[in-house]
Amino acid sequence: MKASDEELTALVVATKNPAAFGELVRRHQGLVRGMLHRMCRNHALADDLAQDAFIKAFEKVGSFKGTGSFKSWLCSIAYTQFLMSARKRKAADRVLEKFQSGMEESEAPRDMGNVVDLDRGLATLKDEERIAVVLCYSCGMSHSEAAEATGMPLGTVKSHVNRGRAKLQAFFTDAEVMAS
Amino acid sequence: MTMNDAFDARLKAAFAQAAEPLEAEREADAFSHRVVKQLSNPDRKRILLLGGAGSTGSAIAGTQLEGLLGQVQVPTEGLMANIGFLMSPEVMAAGAMAVAVGIVATVLPRRIA
Repeated sequence: MKASDEELTALVVATKNPAAFGELVRRHQGLVRGMLHRMCRNHALADDLAQDAFIKAFEKVGSFKGTGSFKSWLCSIAYTQFLMSARKRKAADRVLEKFQSGMEESEAPRDMGNVVDLDRGLATLKDEERIAVVLCYSCGMSHSEAAEATGMPLGTVKSHVNRGRAKLQAFFTDAEVMAS
Repeated sequence: MTMNDAFDARLKAAFAQAAEPLEAEREADAFSHRVVKQLSNPDRKRILLLGGAGSTGSAIAGTQLEGLLGQVQVPTEGLMANIGFLMSPEVMAAGAMAVAVGIVATVLPRRIA
């Protein structure tokens, strides 16, 4: 029987066992990397940040109280890493402009067949809207969990999510009209 | 199901589909392996490099300080004469070195963290 996240976390807290933590990484890396890919729009940077986030999580695992899900706790660490990296590089503005200016030049647009390109849709959102939408829809966080992770008031998160969703809906509708 | 619910489901599916390549077992194992390797082998090279550069810089500056501070005129009368013993080149060089080392010790861990 597979150990639950909570059991593995308890083992890591008690023994600092890297193998147990490795299993947690294996389970959640897709979620964390996916979230950071959507936020950064740069796969190499997102993977570096994801690695840093897991290392930070290993160092701080004792502070995980188990009140929320391990997944949400991890996503909030990844979000903090994303913010810190943006500040550290003094390129927050450039990174955020990149979000708005469309696809990363070094990255070829993905051929998704009939699926509307999610990244292009996300690029039409404001930064806060995109972050709120990614946390809630990609990480599966509740509005309150996203509020806790970002430090935004709950009402603000709800507004960002609603506005972001409305914009994405409009984007997808337009894209479908153009395709047909 | 409302229109919002339907769109929510579609959005979640789009995110899940976008994350699919990352969920592949080989990809997950490779990433997990990289993180675990990093845990047991922290980035000491960078710490040593930065510490080494800071210490070398301080040492070089220290060798120049004594000559530079030897030019300082130590007052022999008045209030300043009471702290004249603190103004010998050796003491001032040691003080400057202590400040430099203190700054390196304070700043370095923050930059590395």
